[in-house]
Amino acid sequence: MPKIAIVKFPGTNCDEDVKHVLVNVVGLEAEIVWYKEFSVNKWDAIILPGGFSYGDWLRAGAIAARTQAVDELVEARDRGVPVLGICNGFQILVEAGLLPGALLYNDVGRFVCKWIRTVVERPRGPWLALVRDGQVLDMPVAHAEGRYYVDEETYISTLLKSPVLKYLQGFNPNGSIHNVAGVGSEDGVVFGLMPHPERASEELLVPRGFSPGGRVIFESIAHSLKRGW
Amino acid sequence: MPLTQDEVEEIRKILGREPTVEELAMFEAQWSEHCSYKSSRLLLKLLPTEGMHVVVGPGRDAPAVRLFKDFAIVFKIESHNHPSAVDPYDGAATGIGGIVRDILTLGAKPVALLDMLYMGEPWDPHANWLIRGIVKGISDYGNRIGVPTVAGDTWFDYAFNTQPLVNVACVGIVPLNRLVLGSIRPGDYIIIMGNATGRDGLLGSSFASKPLAEDTDKEIGAVQVGDPLTEKLLIDALQILVSRRLVKYIKDLGGGGLTTAISETCADHGLGAAIELEKLHIRQKLTPLELLVSESQERMLVVVEPVKLSEVEEILRNYDVMYSVIGRFTEDGVIKVFCNGVKVAEVPAKELARPRAVRRVSHPPAEALKGLKPLYSLPPEPSYEEALTKLLSSPNIASKRWIYEQYDHEVGVRTVVKPGLGDAAVLRLLDGSSRGFAIKGDANPRYTSIDPFNGAANSVAECFRNLVAVGAKPIAIVDELNAGNPEKPEHFWYFEMMLKGLAWMAEELRLPVVGGKVSFYNEDHRGRQVKPTTTIVGVGRVKDVSRAVTMDLKESDSVIAVVGVTYPELGGSEYLYKVFGLEEGEIPRPRPASELRNAKLILKAVELGLVNAVHDISVGGFAVALAEMAILGNLGVEVDLDLVHARGVMRLDELLFSETQARYVVEVKSNRVEEFKRLAQRMGVCISLAGRVLDKPVLILLKGSKTILSADLGLLRDSYNSLEKAIEGGA
Repeated sequence: MPKIAIVKFPGTNCDEDVKHVLVNVVGLEAEIVWYKEFSVNKWDAIILPGGFSYGDWLRAGAIAARTQAVDELVEARDRGVPVLGICNGFQILVEAGLLPGALLYNDVGRFVCKWIRTVVERPRGPWLALVRDGQVLDMPVAHAEGRYYVDEETYISTLLKSPVLKYLQGFNPNGSIHNVAGVGSEDGVVFGLMPHPERASEELLVPRGFSPGGRVIFESIAHSLKRGW
Repeated sequence: MPLTQDEVEEIRKILGREPTVEELAMFEAQWSEHCSYKSSRLLLKLLPTEGMHVVVGPGRDAPAVRLFKDFAIVFKIESHNHPSAVDPYDGAATGIGGIVRDILTLGAKPVALLDMLYMGEPWDPHANWLIRGIVKGISDYGNRIGVPTVAGDTWFDYAFNTQPLVNVACVGIVPLNRLVLGSIRPGDYIIIMGNATGRDGLLGSSFASKPLAEDTDKEIGAVQVGDPLTEKLLIDALQILVSRRLVKYIKDLGGGGLTTAISETCADHGLGAAIELEKLHIRQKLTPLELLVSESQERMLVVVEPVKLSEVEEILRNYDVMYSVIGRFTEDGVIKVFCNGVKVAEVPAKELARPRAVRRVSHPPAEALKGLKPLYSLPPEPSYEEALTKLLSSPNIASKRWIYEQYDHEVGVRTVVKPGLGDAAVLRLLDGSSRGFAIKGDANPRYTSIDPFNGAANSVAECFRNLVAVGAKPIAIVDELNAGNPEKPEHFWYFEMMLKGLAWMAEELRLPVVGGKVSFYNEDHRGRQVKPTTTIVGVGRVKDVSRAVTMDLKESDSVIAVVGVTYPELGGSEYLYKVFGLEEGEIPRPRPASELRNAKLILKAVELGLVNAVHDISVGGFAVALAEMAILGNLGVEVDLDLVHARGVMRLDELLFSETQARYVVEVKSNRVEEFKRLAQRMGVCISLAGRVLDKPVLILLKGSKTILSADLGLLRDSYNSLEKAIEGGA
């Protein structure tokens, strides 16, 4: 049975939520691993869940990105172990340089928690294995620093060749450039997104008018790992 | 508030000598109104606190109620009114921190936060600054500790322009057999874990136990500053310590700091303690006096038996939690405080913890008469559409989206009914079952300021109805009484009447009041009391969260039913204030018998699946409730007012906008109407099948064949969504 590590930093707060979905909804084995005890060995995939690592001091994700645990992540990436960053996890991956771009303060100037719609472009890699190109995924966002920014050159040279998640027209909650909500490495092995797929994996939690768009991401990794990613 | 001459005399008597400065500071902190309830204690005995579900009643940092046979719910309310008036951001944030730590003391896992905010008018510049600061404080702190803010209550009123009321509540869940109830023995270690002690919040409880000074800037040192990261580490570390059964007792260092935590723990267990102050981990060099009364946040006291000390220390180190072992419990009932070997205080715990209660003088002011005045000569009725639009855009009624979208209300993946859609929030336990609970906070400062007895009773009833409306069975409440200066008889009367109204209604609705807080001295710098306010937070049991009901209309052709009878009760209504500028008259009568009967019908109808949507009728009356359901469901509605049961109503505005209690608007499924009718008949509940849901976006009110109002839903929605503009300004 493949095993997934959910890495917890001081201030991480979506670790148990992600574990609940992995174990109880898609039937994978998963463990919450304290950042001091995390090493890349023995894990088939790694998730950095949301929250406020180190209280968002300095910048969201900036301090966690400079811990030993992130050196281990670089090693994981090099070995081709799938890595997913959700919300603060995405911020950490960007701060660590594992994904391009930067996440700035929301243009509305405040924290935003609400359901939005996204669309997937160029799905690729273990986290989007079951997703069709152009598929719409509904999920909630909950962040203050989620405005994605990347310079036009990198956008063209990198993002246009990589799997990207975009807010649907009218659903961009933070002023992200090109409506970017999430971005992957070119092969999609490392993927990060601001919305919370773990909150959108069960019908019960979905408000009327939306559908549980996060579940396919966890089903994708289950599918990929079972096929021996 | 400094100790009075009489109190100093009493302290001399207790000690049999002159007290040291440290001892005086300890007594001042502990005997402050905030910590000792000295003005309220005698009256608080009126509250019904017992019930078959109550596991831990008042007395501990938080009460516990049996939610299901194997699960308890721990919930508590607190006010941070004074700090929030001086420093809204930190004042509100530390309010959240404090209430969460209260929940932790029984070993529960905090799973939900509520904020009940009674603030000034958004268009007043100072009030606007307070509103933004308070909401951001709660947002930044609550979001960072990973506990969702799922519900609350808000009221915007000129009376709160300079002194807002910030009431916050936290809910925790815990398997019954994991509750940390405590059995301390002499020799057990006292550990202080969390934040280092600094010079913030010195005698903060004492500051909260007197009116705000004219120059509040000087009191900034009494406001504490929050550190949510440390709070989050405390939450996580305590979950581990509790699950491994390593701690015997937990207590928050809140008001009164170290002094209160130690004296109350000792007094409750008939023990004493020997404390070595120099062992406390500190942020800066402090005097023994400062160490004893500092209210630095995010600190907790845990009691550990000697054999488990090393295991506890290892866990705290691994999880990055600062701590210090500062002493042990003793048998003699005396608290001895040493600093570097020098004894600085020696006081009997029992006498320190419990000052004598004070019987305050209570007297109704002349203006209390305005609540007895029947309203006979109202101005002519306005255009109903204009009145409805005005009400929907009133900050007291408009959508609170600007607030709740700043709160992470989904972390924890428990929130089934989210803010804005239901009369109460519904959360699942997430234990593999479909069980859960509903939670809501309510108050109406206008009611309690006009008629404190009936106003407080109506707060209990509204909370009760909100829980019922989502399909939950109410099981217990906690209360926060925000009042004026207890030394002024005309202020104290409001407190006394609110408490009596609350006690009466809780008893009538069979809701034990398992805990609560009192906040006095809520007056502005001119000595005027702000509107006295009774805030109620209630919990309801939900057997199957997937059946919980929201208020948005779901399908066209279903039937609109009004449950309950409407009376001409415009006194104290939002309509009267918004349209005519009046705040007077008899407020709606509390109707406990109707509440119980009508609630039973709603719960049964929800259980049988007869209804699509339920909404309680409260501020704004029937017309506003109906409009909210239509706006949120994006479906039109047509109602014939001639079909709505009413008694003694002389004008249409009384029918549309009276805030008569014990009423609901229900959307009945079109194929279950007969069943619903029969059920109501059998239960003896008055219902009015008065209209139906339309598939076009329009709200139509008829009187027989005459159309008295026909409004475009889009325009009503714009009014309902206008709070952001009122606060943020702009076009």
